[in-house]
Amino acid sequence: MLSESLVAATLSSAKTPTATLRDVGICVQELQPAPQLRATFKKSSAAANCLAVTASHIFAAQADKAVVHVYSREKGNQEALIPFPERIRSIAVAGAKYGDVLVLGTEGGRLLLWETCTGRQVATTASHLQPVTSLVVDPTSNFILSGSADASIHVWSIASILSFSKTALARDHQPTNSPIRTFSNHRAAITSLALGHSNSRQNIAVSTAKDNTAIVWDYHTGRTLRTYLLPFSATCVALDPLDRAGYVGYEDGSVQSIDFYRHSSVQHQLYDPSLQSTPAQVSTEERWLPPSAETGATQAVCVSYDGTTLLSAHEGGKVLSWNVARHKFAASTADFTHPVTNLIMLPPTGLPTSDQSQRITHTVIKPRHDTALSDPSHTSGAVPAAYAFNTHISTPSSPRLRKPTQFSEALTHRSFPDSLLDEGLAELATLRQPGGTEVSRTSPVTSATSDHSASAQAQESHIAELEEEVALLKIRAAANDKARHASVDEIVQLRADLAQLQDYVSELHEKQEGAQRDKLLRQARKEDRETKRRDAWFAAEKKGRNGDAAMKKMDIDDGMLTSDTDEQGDE
Amino acid sequence: MASTTLRAVAHRLTTTPVEQLPSIASFLATSLSDCADLLSAPQTQKPGKSDSENAIQVHKLKTRLSSLLQDRSVEGRWTAVVLAKAMVEAGQWEVLRGYEPIVRSLIGILAKPDPVSTRKMCIITLTRIFHLTYQYPTLVREITTPHLPGFITAALNLVSTLVKLPSGSARKAKPNTPFMETVLLALLELIPRHPTIFRPFGSQLRSLSAEILGSQDVYFRGPVIDAAEQVFASLHKCAPKDKSGSGWNEDCRSTILSIHRATDFVYRAVVEQWESVDTTLVATRQNYNEELADPAPDALGLPAWKGIHAGSDRILTLLRILSDFIAMPSVSAVALPLGSILDLTSRLTTVTVPLEGTSQSGAQANPQIGREERELLWAELPRIHIACMDLLAHVVNVLGTSAIPLAQTMLEQVSWVFRNEKFSRDVRTASYDLLASLISLNGPAMTKQSMAPITSVIRSCCQDLLPTSTESTTPANTQGDSKTKSKAQGTANADSFLNPDLQKGRNQQASKSSALGQAASALLQSVLLSAPSELLAASMRAEIDRTIILISDKDAMLASVLNPVPAIKGKGAGASIIPFLARGYSDTVEVESLIRPRMPVIMTAPELDAQALAEEEDEDEEMEVAEHEPVSETASFLKFSTSNVVPAKSEPVEATNKRFRTYIEEPTLKAMPEPSENQLERPKKARIEESVHHPAPVAAIASTPHPAPVSQQTQAKPQASAAPEASMPEDDSDDELPTLNLDPDTDDDEEDDDVQMEG
Repeated sequence: MLSESLVAATLSSAKTPTATLRDVGICVQELQPAPQLRATFKKSSAAANCLAVTASHIFAAQADKAVVHVYSREKGNQEALIPFPERIRSIAVAGAKYGDVLVLGTEGGRLLLWETCTGRQVATTASHLQPVTSLVVDPTSNFILSGSADASIHVWSIASILSFSKTALARDHQPTNSPIRTFSNHRAAITSLALGHSNSRQNIAVSTAKDNTAIVWDYHTGRTLRTYLLPFSATCVALDPLDRAGYVGYEDGSVQSIDFYRHSSVQHQLYDPSLQSTPAQVSTEERWLPPSAETGATQAVCVSYDGTTLLSAHEGGKVLSWNVARHKFAASTADFTHPVTNLIMLPPTGLPTSDQSQRITHTVIKPRHDTALSDPSHTSGAVPAAYAFNTHISTPSSPRLRKPTQFSEALTHRSFPDSLLDEGLAELATLRQPGGTEVSRTSPVTSATSDHSASAQAQESHIAELEEEVALLKIRAAANDKARHASVDEIVQLRADLAQLQDYVSELHEKQEGAQRDKLLRQARKEDRETKRRDAWFAAEKKGRNGDAAMKKMDIDDGMLTSDTDEQGDE
Repeated sequence: MASTTLRAVAHRLTTTPVEQLPSIASFLATSLSDCADLLSAPQTQKPGKSDSENAIQVHKLKTRLSSLLQDRSVEGRWTAVVLAKAMVEAGQWEVLRGYEPIVRSLIGILAKPDPVSTRKMCIITLTRIFHLTYQYPTLVREITTPHLPGFITAALNLVSTLVKLPSGSARKAKPNTPFMETVLLALLELIPRHPTIFRPFGSQLRSLSAEILGSQDVYFRGPVIDAAEQVFASLHKCAPKDKSGSGWNEDCRSTILSIHRATDFVYRAVVEQWESVDTTLVATRQNYNEELADPAPDALGLPAWKGIHAGSDRILTLLRILSDFIAMPSVSAVALPLGSILDLTSRLTTVTVPLEGTSQSGAQANPQIGREERELLWAELPRIHIACMDLLAHVVNVLGTSAIPLAQTMLEQVSWVFRNEKFSRDVRTASYDLLASLISLNGPAMTKQSMAPITSVIRSCCQDLLPTSTESTTPANTQGDSKTKSKAQGTANADSFLNPDLQKGRNQQASKSSALGQAASALLQSVLLSAPSELLAASMRAEIDRTIILISDKDAMLASVLNPVPAIKGKGAGASIIPFLARGYSDTVEVESLIRPRMPVIMTAPELDAQALAEEEDEDEEMEVAEHEPVSETASFLKFSTSNVVPAKSEPVEATNKRFRTYIEEPTLKAMPEPSENQLERPKKARIEESVHHPAPVAAIASTPHPAPVSQQTQAKPQASAAPEASMPEDDSDDELPTLNLDPDTDDDEEDDDVQMEG
C-alpha cells in the first residue's frame, strides 16, 4: 500500500506530554492514507538542523551535548551513542539512496565526515568562524553546503575530502579538505539552506539569513540568481519538488511561498540576467497565517511528495499542514507537545521504484580514530588494507546485464518456455522413430494391459508391414510377368517369321525344281522334234521331194511350239 | 469459464492416448495456467456446488498427474513433468500442499534412463517447487526437508560420481554430461534459500566445483564454468549459522590470497614495483629453473596448474569468483574488503604491456626468466586487466555513491592500463564501461587534474564510434613518393576500389551495435552529463559533438544540449547542437519537452481553475495567440528574454499601473487599483487604440541596438494587445482574480537594465 510518512524531532522542554509521547524525542508520523503515529524513538532532544534520516537509520545530534544518537529504523531502538570531541550543531547525510556518509557541522566551525559503513572519519579545516548551523548535501552526493553563524556559506567537494588518492588533487598546493567555494552575500547569520532537486549543474541553492533575505544562487559557480527581501527573518526554507517555488517559515508561526515563476516570462526567471541584480520584495500581507498565535515560531518546513502540501513544525509542538494551491492553512497534522525542531519527509513506501536498494546497512560502524584511515597526509594515496565496507548485499547485481539463461527463464515461466518443450518433443520423436521396440526397451517392466495393447499394436503394425510387402511383391510379380510375356511374344513372332522364311525357301526350291524339270522336258521335246524333223527331212529326201520344203512346213508348226517353249524357258 | 476449461483439461488428459499427450502438453499447460484462480483458491472456502465440482476436477487432475508420472511410456512421464510445473505455477500454495507424492515420483524420474529433456525439466520443476516452499514453513516441513536431500543427491549423481575419501566424501565430475549446467544452476538457486539442508553437501559441492574450475584436461562450456563459479562463491552460505558472515569474509579473504599466490607465479617474468599496503602478505618462493607452475593446491582448494595460460586462467577464475562474492546477495552483513581489493587490482594493473618503442613499463624484466615467457605474459595481460576492471565495476555498482572515496584511485588504475593496452578492443570496452560509471558518480566534483588522464580515453572513444572512412586513407597514399606508392598498390585491397560503400557500411554497423560501441556511447554521455563542461577543452568538446552528430546518438546529443559549452566572457553563449537534435529526433518526447517545455508553472487550486476557465472563454483568441507564439519561439532563451521585454516596455506608454494577465493562472492578493468600468464597456475600442498605439513602442525598441529578430516584433503585437484585453473581465473586483503585478518602479529599473545589457 502506498503510504507517506515524515520524521519529526523535538527539543525537550518543561512541558509534560501524554503517556504515549513520554520520553519520545523522534516520531515517525504517517500522513497518507491516515494520519497516525507509526514509530517513536526515545531520549532524544535535538535542535534545528540536527536530524538526519537514511533508509536504515536515524541520526540525531543532541542539543547541548557532544553526542549523536543513532537509532535503527529496522529494529526500532537506539543502536548507538557516538561521542564527539565537539558539540554538533547540524548534521546531514550524503550518499543519496543509502546515506552512507554522515556530515556533521561542529561548534568550532569544521565539518566531520563519518562513513557509517567503514568507520572512517575525516575532518575538514575549521573554515567557519562560528558554529556550523545548517548543512545540506546535493542530490549527486558530490557537494556539501554549510551555513554558519558567521554569515558565510561554504561549498565543499565530498570527493576531494574523502578521496584516498591525493596525488592529482594536491597538485595545486591547496589543502584538499578545505572548501572549494565560499558564498558571502548574506550580511547576518545563516538560518537555513535548501537545495534544488536537479542532478545537473543547473541546480540551485536557497539560503536564508537573519538579514531578512533569501538568496537563490548557483552553488556550482557562486553566482547570485535572485535576492528576495523578506518581511521578517526566515527560520527555515524548503523547495518545491520541481523547484518552482520556495517556502519559508517565520518566527511568528506563519509561512510564505516565494514563487520563482511569478513573471509571465517563459524563461526561468532565476536565469534572467536582467533581474539578478534586483532584489525582489516579498510582501508581508501574502504570508500564510497560522490559525492561532500559540503555534509558536516555525522551526522547519517540508513539502509532501506530490508538492501540494506544505508541512511546518512549530515551537508549540504542532505540525501544521498548508494547502499550497490555496495559500492557506489546511489542518493540524500532529501534536508532539515539545517544540518540534526538525521535519524530514520520508520517501513514500509502496511505489515499485522506491525499494530497489541493493544493500542494507544493519548496524553503523562507530568512527574509528585510525590515523591511516582518517589522516590523508600519512598515506601514500593507497587505500589502506583495513578499509572494509560493512553492508548486507540484498539483491543480486551486475553492472552488465547478464543474458537470461534457458534455466532462469524456465524457472519462472508458467509452464516451460517453448524452446524447451520443442527440444523435448524433438527428442521424443527421435526416440519413437526406430519403432516400438525402443519404447519397450526404455520401460522394461510392463503391466498386462499395456503389454496387451503394446503387443496388439505391434501385431497391427506387423500386419500392415506384411500387407505392404505383399503389395510390393505383387507389383513386382506383375512386372515380371509382363516382362516374360513380352519376351515370349517376341520369340513366337520370331519363330513364325522363321517358319515363313523356311516356307518361302522351300517354295523357291520347288519352283527351281519345276523349272529344271520343265527345262529337261523341253530339252527332251526339242530333241524329239529335232529327231522328227530329221526323220521328216530324211523321209522327204527319200521321197524325193525337197527336204527343205518339208522342213519349212515343219518349222512353221514347230515355230509355234518353240516360241511357246521359249517363253516357258524364259520364265 | 475457467471451470469449463478445467473440466476440459481434465477430460482431455484422461481420454487422450498417452502417446499423443506430448503434442498437446503445451496447450494443456497454458489452459491450466488460465485456471490459476481456481487452482489457487483455498479449498476450505468452497461451500457452493460449482466449487465442489471444481475441487473434484482438481483432484482428478492431481491423481491423473501422479499416475502419469508412474507411467510406463516416455511420453506419459514427459507430459506429467510439464503439467506438474504448470500446476505448481498456477496453484502455488494450494497445489503444493498435496504435492508430496508427486515430488517423490519426480525425484524418482531423475534416476531413470529417461530422455535428457524429461530429466532437465524434472530438475527445473523440482527446483521451482523447493523455491516456492521457501516462504511457507509448513510446506518446508512437509516437502522440502524430507525430499531436498534426495533431490540434491539425485542431481549430483547425474553429473558426478561419489568418491569416498578418508577426510569425507568428494565428487568427481562426469565429463560431457548434458545436465551439468542445469544441475549447477538449480543448486545455485536453492543454496541461498535452504542453506541448512545443503550443509552436509558443502564439501561435495566444493570438490565438484573446484574440479570444474581447476580442470585442465576436461573441457567444460562457458556457462558451466560461470555457474560453477557462482556455486563456489555461494558455498559460504552453507557454513554453520553462527559464522555465516565470517564465512563470507574468510572465503573472500582466501580468494584474494589465492589470486596473489597465482600472480606471484604468473608475474615472475617481471620484477614488480608494487608494494602491498597489507603487511601480512608474503610472496611465494619459487624455482625459476622449472616451468611456470603452481605445484600445490591453493587456499581455496583449487587444484595445481601448469603453464602461463593456465595460470592466468586461474587468476581470471578467481577474479570472477571475487566479483560474484560482491554481486551475489549475502546472508548477513559482511565486510567488503575494499582496501585489499584495490590493493590487488593495483598490483595486477601496475604491470602492463610495454608501449611500442619503450622497452619496459611498470615493471623491470626479471633477468632469470627468458624473453619468451615474458612475451607470453604480455599476451595474457589484457585478459587479466579486463577481469580487474569488471571486478571494480562490480564494486562501484554495489557501493554507489559510497565509492566516491575510491573513485580517483580506480580512475588512475584504468587510465594507466588504457594508456598501454588500448590496442585491445576488449580492454577499451571494459575501460569505457568502468569510466562511465565512475564519471557519473563523481563527475560533478571533478577537477582539472583528475580530468587530465581521461582525455585520451575520450579521444579514443570518439575514434571508436566514428565510422572509419576510406577517404581519409586515400590521400595519404597519393602523397607518398613513387616508391611507397608502388608498394601500396601492390598490397591494396582491390575490392575496396570496386565497392567502397560495402566496407564503409559494414564498419559503421559494427561500431554502433557492438558492446564497444555501446560502452563508448555511454561514456560520452556520462562525460557530457556529469563532468563539468568547462573542464573539457574546446577542441575536445567539438570532437565529441561532431562524433555524436555523425552517429546521431540521441541520448548523447541531449546530454550535450543540456550541458552547453559555458559562455566565455565577452564572447556570448557557445553554439549548441540543438538544431541537429531537433532535425533528427523531432518526434521524440525528450526533444519535444526540451524545445517546447510545458511545466505547469504555478500550482492552482481546482476551484480557481474553474473560474479561470470561464474567463478564458471570453478571450480564447487572444489567449491562444499569447500562448502559442512565445512557446514556438523558445528555441533560444536569449531571444526570449528580449521578446518579453517588449510588452513590459509598451505598458508605460499606454497606461501605467495597468496589469496584464497571462495564461499562467496565479491567484495573488491584489495590491493594484481596479481597472475602470468603461474599459469593460468598450473592449473593441481599446483594442483599436492599442493597435494604433503599438507601432510606436515597437519602433522605439527596434531603433535601439536590439538583437531581436524581425519575427519578434510581429509577435510582440498580438501579445501586447492581448495583455490589456485580459484584464477586461475583472468587473466585480473579485480579489481571487489571477493577476500579475508589475511594479512601475521595478519595471523602470528592469527597462534600464535591459537597455544597458543590450546596448
